[in-house]
Amino acid sequence: MTKIVQRRKATLLDRSYLWEIMKGMGITMRHLVKNFRNPEKMQLMSYPEIEVKVPQDYRGSHRLMKRPDGEVRCVACYMCSTACPARCITIEADNSADPRIEKKPQKFEIDWLLCVFCGLCVEACPVDAIRMDSREVSLSFGSRKEFVADMQRLTAWKPEDFPANDSQSQRAPGGTENQQARKIWGLEVKSV
Amino acid sequence: MSDFPHHSLLAWAVSLGRFALVFIPLMTIVVMIFLERKGASLIQDRLGPNRSAIPIFGGLRLFGFVHNFTDGIKLFTKETFIPSYAHKFWYAIAPGIGFLVAMLTPSVIPWFAPLAWTAGGEIERVSGTLIDSDTGILLMFALSSLSVYGTVMASWASNSKYALLGGMRATAMMISYEVSMGLSLMGIFLITGSFNLQHIVAWQETHVWGIVVQPVAFVVFLVSMIAETGRAPFDVAEGESEIVAGYHLEYSAMRFGLYYMGEYAHIMIASIIIATLFLGGYSIPFVSTDCLRAHVNVALFLVLAGAALALIAFQIKLRHWKSIYPSFNATDTKARLTEYSFLQVTTGLATLGVIGLAAVALIALHPSVLSTVDGVGYFAPWVTLATAGVQVAVLIAKAFLFCWIWIWVRWTLPRFRYDQIMSLGWKILLNVALVNLVVTALIAKLIVGGR
Repeated sequence: MTKIVQRRKATLLDRSYLWEIMKGMGITMRHLVKNFRNPEKMQLMSYPEIEVKVPQDYRGSHRLMKRPDGEVRCVACYMCSTACPARCITIEADNSADPRIEKKPQKFEIDWLLCVFCGLCVEACPVDAIRMDSREVSLSFGSRKEFVADMQRLTAWKPEDFPANDSQSQRAPGGTENQQARKIWGLEVKSV
Repeated sequence: MSDFPHHSLLAWAVSLGRFALVFIPLMTIVVMIFLERKGASLIQDRLGPNRSAIPIFGGLRLFGFVHNFTDGIKLFTKETFIPSYAHKFWYAIAPGIGFLVAMLTPSVIPWFAPLAWTAGGEIERVSGTLIDSDTGILLMFALSSLSVYGTVMASWASNSKYALLGGMRATAMMISYEVSMGLSLMGIFLITGSFNLQHIVAWQETHVWGIVVQPVAFVVFLVSMIAETGRAPFDVAEGESEIVAGYHLEYSAMRFGLYYMGEYAHIMIASIIIATLFLGGYSIPFVSTDCLRAHVNVALFLVLAGAALALIAFQIKLRHWKSIYPSFNATDTKARLTEYSFLQVTTGLATLGVIGLAAVALIALHPSVLSTVDGVGYFAPWVTLATAGVQVAVLIAKAFLFCWIWIWVRWTLPRFRYDQIMSLGWKILLNVALVNLVVTALIAKLIVGGR
């Protein structure tokens, strides 16, 4: 159904334009007075001084998950670097010491200058090893070299900064959680 | 020995000292830019620039006032780039023209009532303008119209298509709005019977303000002046969305800075002219210059008390900021509180000083008629000079009112389309100005009976 909106014909007052300008200037002046009187009520944050509160599911920079034994969860399958449209992930594989797992990354580097933060690597990962929930949004460094994050930097996150009880737990099956491991991977986990 | 009248040293000093008034529009640029940035930010629900700091007392930010100086340092130290395809000579001198006009135009503005005192039994007079000419306002128009040469020269010499488009737009707008601007003032000239700005202000002092007798002309003149300065909503000459930056596209460093600063100087001059023509210039309503001279101590007291009140209002704002800042949980809380404390102490001392000066002015100064020549009393030179100072302050206060209107309009209205500007100028403002002139002439003829 079409709704016909009857346009009001512009009166002489409207067409003189001056009255409408004054109304507009009244609006801007109201904003100015309000903000001058109560600057604390403005919807803004003075950025570097006041910390930005990023939500938990914000897609920030990457972090690599770890198994309970401290090893990186990544199995060096190259799924993420294949999915990556910016080709910013460099992986070099090595033999894994864990008999259940074929490979582990010897080198895992993300170039944040190339990265487009699309999140396809997270989608592609079969073992939930890479996540982008670090809530780190201000990537600013002094040199280009520092923008390339190696494995040590990607795994240097503190468990207490992340909720322990979300559905995709940060703690991988293994160690004392054999029950869970069997359910997910159908495998027995070697105790360390 | 010669016909050249003998002048006392004081008369010479005051005459030459008036040249300092030419720099008032240039000095107000700093305040104007600060007002513009803060006004814009508060209108748009922002805090505005506030990060530049003088590194003392935890970083003296002065609520963003320091940004003007960092901008200046940046513009002065940047490379002055000249495109290889530009006409070097004209490209180099074009930015100076607008600035030159900003220096010349204030010379016809009456800054204060004509001074007169006796020295050695003779009456000495010093005019309130640098060029006390009967062509006054026409000279001002001629000078201010020259500023478009800077624009056109820049656009042509830049040898760039966008710059040329901007220059052509500026020229077309200039031609359109100069007509209605001149015609809107004819009513004022008709009523006051003079082109001389001194006479126009004197008429307003003894009768009523121009805005009361010529309200339509005031609106037309204000709109035309905003168009003349090329500010929003009439800033098609530098329309960013269409022609990048218009006529100053190819300019960098301080040559660009001259255009940027010239714009604000131009606004200040336009505001002073409007205040002079329509708001009684330097005069205070219901107070004649003679009355002001007779009570100059009260006038000085009131001006200083106004300054003290402004300082106290600033301190109240400072207290407010100091009370709310810790609630932000910012990392620089300590530095800001140090700065606010420092500002509180300095402005507190300044307030005390101003109040003391006001009290001294009220109590210690007693203006009295020093001598009488041909039945006209003359005050001591310091009385007339102090009155002149008060009048300059009044004129600048009135001008700042209009400066704020410039900024306010800019951050309220969107830009006009180019053809809309042309039709507003030629089809509406010109006709309104003409009708206003005819009606004024008729009324003047009927009431006053012709002059």
